[in-house]
Amino acid sequence: MNRSTWINLATAFGVTGVIGGALFLSRRASASAGPVPAPGITPPGPGPSPQIDLPPLPTAADVNGDLTRNWGDTPLDLRPLFQLVEEISRIFGAARYLAIAAKRESEFVTTAHNGNAANEQDERDDSLAAYTNNKDRNPPLRHGDQAAAFGSGGLFGALAPYFLWTGVPEVGAKAPLLNAPPEIVFQPRAAAFGAAVYMQRILKHYRVDDVADIKVGWANPGLLGASRGGTKYNEVRARFLADAKVLGIDLTDAQTIPPKLDPSAWPGVHAVFAGLVGAPPKELA
Amino acid sequence: MNPTMTCYGEGIDRLADLAGDFSLRTPKDVRVWYGMQWQLLAELLGFSQQLAATPASRSDDPISAARDAGLAAFERSLQGGRPGVTDAQARVQLAALKSLGAAGRESGELWRASADPTTLPMGACYSEGEQSLRAFYPDTAPAYFGEGWAGPRPRAGSACGWQTPLVLHLGTFPWVYSARLDGVGPGTRWASATTLPAVEGLRIAVSLMEPATNLRQDARQVAAIYQHFAEQTAPLVARVQSFESGRAEVGRLYRRGGFLHVHQGSLHVAGLDGPRGRISAPAYNHVLRRFACFFAVRRAALRDLSLLPADGQRLVRSSADPCLREHAEEVTRAR
Repeated sequence: MNRSTWINLATAFGVTGVIGGALFLSRRASASAGPVPAPGITPPGPGPSPQIDLPPLPTAADVNGDLTRNWGDTPLDLRPLFQLVEEISRIFGAARYLAIAAKRESEFVTTAHNGNAANEQDERDDSLAAYTNNKDRNPPLRHGDQAAAFGSGGLFGALAPYFLWTGVPEVGAKAPLLNAPPEIVFQPRAAAFGAAVYMQRILKHYRVDDVADIKVGWANPGLLGASRGGTKYNEVRARFLADAKVLGIDLTDAQTIPPKLDPSAWPGVHAVFAGLVGAPPKELA
Repeated sequence: MNPTMTCYGEGIDRLADLAGDFSLRTPKDVRVWYGMQWQLLAELLGFSQQLAATPASRSDDPISAARDAGLAAFERSLQGGRPGVTDAQARVQLAALKSLGAAGRESGELWRASADPTTLPMGACYSEGEQSLRAFYPDTAPAYFGEGWAGPRPRAGSACGWQTPLVLHLGTFPWVYSARLDGVGPGTRWASATTLPAVEGLRIAVSLMEPATNLRQDARQVAAIYQHFAEQTAPLVARVQSFESGRAEVGRLYRRGGFLHVHQGSLHVAGLDGPRGRISAPAYNHVLRRFACFFAVRRAALRDLSLLPADGQRLVRSSADPCLREHAEEVTRAR
């Protein structure tokens, strides 16, 4: 099954449904160079977006959990962000999972972007399809046209329209990013919020046998149902397990990541947004 | 008397200013300055949590207290992480570091320690199965800290193939190799399940922030390495825009307060690419701060030479460093 098929599958369920769409495309965003002193790239889109600055990355002082054990080569200054997601979402093990996911999706570059280069038309096509096929059954996005033209990006490689609809299945029109421009996905706290919501949704609504299954659902929730055990299911799992090994995170270290993640203490979309991002800036109101 | 660092070269006073000025006469000043340097060090090397959890030392000397707490915190962070080397390699590394540290303190060349590796314990070799391997990387090519070092070459045959001197830039630990400033500091990997040479490496580096050890070091060596580093990195840093609050782009690398900064992104994946290779942003910041701290302490120590014990003052007057001798004479004349 190719990626377009996944998206068609996901959009067929609609964001307001339980499935929620393939929010995170299982493909590396163009990130390998990291932050460089070259001029910033302006993503294509109909008109400029407002500049919104969320709080900076959390630091070691903002979290309680261990930032030394079983992180492998996860950048030191991103560990507190992943740990904060774990603590705010109350999903033990989320931090190491997210580190492995971010390694694949963005190489830890917060502004990783698929859709800003001439040869990334397929990414823009995907975000356009995601927007066109779902806008009538979801709350409106203030920057819907920009989201449709954006492609995917951020630490976790989120597809822009789905990312901005994060939380709609849970809280409907009170979802916090409906008024945000798609570039907000580059802000690590916002990206982490999207990832936290999506992770709990997979854990709550699908059969997830182990940590690698989360990544399968991350790519396409459909693979956790009828397609479980198929070629694509096994490919995504194998790639995730290899990523964990390369990064140096031991998935059998139960002190930091249990064999199965438990979302039962999830505090809700608004609490997670408040814990990760803080009070919504005026531009999002 | 307010000492100037111009004797060591242009820009050294500005360099010292990056670390901030302080007075050794004021205990609060000393506590704040050293506390800040350790916090920054811990943040960059990833042991902030351990440092915050370390109880304050009972030492009356705030410099020793900060050092003891910092090294204990660093040690605990290494114990929680993955071993980077085998026990055999770590034992050889630790023995070599102790030997290089003692010799460097004696010679006044602790910042960059170099030795014939065959004269070090176990010839700076360790065994892995049937093989004998070098315990350190042979780092003698032209790079960020200099144009290379020819000696002291191995005079005896080396079991593990040493053909160059062993050169370690201990003043900038864990970035100890001139040609390896990309990525994580190599010295942080000097830890095995039972032996932690990395702690010894950091102990040596931070000892240069202690006035007595700082004054023993020939600052001309440090200034020369800094000038080379500055020349190599200046064209790279010049391409980086200055940070302006409220106008920064997400994910972009900036210059801020003399150091590198990524707005809403990871400093640890950022870097500068130059003809001498990539230098990671944390490496750049750390190296620059180590130079700045060295000269900030040197300046503070010179300002208050009279606070040194008698043997320290004798050391200053007989130092091989003409700048230091000259300053001591000026102080004497001014009395």
